[in-house]
Amino acid sequence: MFKFAPYVLKTLTRHRARTLLTVSGAAVSVFVYCFVLAVQEGLARLTTQDDSVLVVFQANKFCPATSHLPQDYEHAISKMPGVREVVPIQVFTNNCRASLDVVVFYGTHAEQVRKVRDFELVSGSWDEFESNQDTAIVGQALVERRSRKLGQELSVGRKLTIGDVTVTIAGIYTSENRAEEDYIYCHLDFLQRTRGTDLVGTVTQHEVFLDASADPQQVASALDLKFKSGQVQTDTRTKGVFQASSLQDLIQLIDLMRYLGFACLGLMTVLLATTTVMGVEDRIREHAVLQTIGVTGARVFRLVLSECVLVSFFGGLAGVLIAVVVLATSSLSVGAEAVSIAFAPSTSMATTGVLVSALIGIAAGIAPAWRAAQADIVNALRYAG
Amino acid sequence: MALIDVQKVVKQFRKGPETITPLQETDLQVEKGEFVSLMGASGSGKTTLLNLIAGIDRCTAGRIVVNGTDITTLSRSKLAQWRASNIGYIFQTHNLVPVLTAYENVELPLLLLPISRSERQKRVEIALRAVDLVDRANHYPRQLSGGQEQRVGIARAIVADPTVVVADEPTGSLDAETAEQILQLIIQLNSDLGTTLLLVTHDPDVAASAGRQLKLVHGKLVDDRRAQPTVSMRQEAM
Ligand SMILES: Nc1ncnc2c1ncn2[C@@H]1O[C@H](COP(=O)(O)OP(=O)(O)OP(=O)(O)O)[C@@H](O)[C@H]1O
Ligand SMILES: [Mg+2]
Repeated sequence: MFKFAPYVLKTLTRHRARTLLTVSGAAVSVFVYCFVLAVQEGLARLTTQDDSVLVVFQANKFCPATSHLPQDYEHAISKMPGVREVVPIQVFTNNCRASLDVVVFYGTHAEQVRKVRDFELVSGSWDEFESNQDTAIVGQALVERRSRKLGQELSVGRKLTIGDVTVTIAGIYTSENRAEEDYIYCHLDFLQRTRGTDLVGTVTQHEVFLDASADPQQVASALDLKFKSGQVQTDTRTKGVFQASSLQDLIQLIDLMRYLGFACLGLMTVLLATTTVMGVEDRIREHAVLQTIGVTGARVFRLVLSECVLVSFFGGLAGVLIAVVVLATSSLSVGAEAVSIAFAPSTSMATTGVLVSALIGIAAGIAPAWRAAQADIVNALRYAG
Repeated sequence: MALIDVQKVVKQFRKGPETITPLQETDLQVEKGEFVSLMGASGSGKTTLLNLIAGIDRCTAGRIVVNGTDITTLSRSKLAQWRASNIGYIFQTHNLVPVLTAYENVELPLLLLPISRSERQKRVEIALRAVDLVDRANHYPRQLSGGQEQRVGIARAIVADPTVVVADEPTGSLDAETAEQILQLIIQLNSDLGTTLLLVTHDPDVAASAGRQLKLVHGKLVDDRRAQPTVSMRQEAM
């Protein structure tokens, strides 16, 4: 088969413009498809997160701005069986609705952040953050996005103002979970006081870390039962479920996006099939000459199919590469109700993109290749002879 | 047994209610090393007969045995493999694959046979030398003249040392001088290499250069007179 590789390559380069256009079309399609995959993966990461973390919210409240729980629930919760650690969080966001530029402040006990999150500081220091009330650590993705928006590089020591909150950046962190990089972690007391005196003593939510052996559902029910007759009623869910409900509106949109991705792949299939059919029709006589020489129909089939798969594969590869570069450098994310979905490239996205391209090449090439292989030699020779 | 044995071959084309029968129980025997020319009115079925012998078309009835193989019973893919090692076909025009160089075009038939790379190279060079085109090996068909293109076609037809070389009006679209050169080349193939040759032509002079001249009339071969005993002459020379 490889003996005919030069023939296949030369055939593709002969109609350079046609091949390049088709490759570009495939690249654009796969780029869009990968983008959709990245969004879906970002969402899946949030909604299928570790069951061993619960989020306690005020019952019947949906926006972080309206949920107010007593901060001292922290102590009551931490005494419950199965609970390892409780992190009270005051959430402040510049935009509760769905937006591409959500900035979320998480005010917590500073010394807890290092313990319960997997953050790695790329600059700044934990000590600086933990010992200064008006400082914050900021996710790398948010820093990049904000820097672009402000037109100046944000870095440690600089002030960052969102709405009426101003913090000094004490550190910039990265996280395995890219969505975490869209947040700003600051001191709980600081955020409570800056946002108004009535917030002192209250938090938006408690994040509850469970022992490995604890049953999340059981603890959640026990917790809600405990506060049923308390000062404020609670609604406790696993973090994944909590985030899924925060993102409800977006989830429907993202589901719709999936069809957009499929439509792009459909278009790509049609484009490739069209180009391949054109190539075959141009070469009716050429294929007849090849068959006269002794090339079997099966080989003609493989030759035409490999042309199509090559174009599709390299177009797809280009699309994947563009998607990886764009997603990695743009730090895009979409958020709602203080939960943010990060669009990040991933290995599974890249492999899926490349595999799908190859499969589309095969799907688009089969019919034209079959036609070329089955063509009647004598008729084809008369055709252009 | 003759190298080519065409037995009572019928070829019909159906065109709506009409049936065209260019070949009606045609018989033909060709010995190894013979140079046979085939003439006949336009539409008499010359190309059709050639295509049947070359195994790129199927007859409606009858048997065609070439070099001991009944090619009418071979499957499509077996027939293709058979062509690769047994048939060299020279067309009137557009013989070559446009994206390949002269060298690569000549090499094509060898790619289908179990031949090593170095052996392929050797054979292509011999074939190109035979048609005197060594210096054009890396040229593409569009960079060649009609006559040169035809010579590459001839080199490709002989490179795998096939059982039979068939040529359908190989000089039909060339000017008189070039046509003569090509004809001489073809005659040489037969006389020097002993290639069995079947040549369709409209030109009586071209036909006259063949050792044996046939005429196709109403689906039958007539006027089958052997002019010179090419075969025996060659055998004596050997
Ligand atoms: N695919 C086909 N369908 C219908 N009729 C056909 C087909 N191919 C050939 N014919 C008919 O068969 C007859 C013989 O054709 P063929 O091409 O063999 O003639 P020829 O002797 O080679 O003619 P020419 O000298 O013009 O090349 C013609 O009448 C032609 O119209
Ligand atoms: Mg003809």
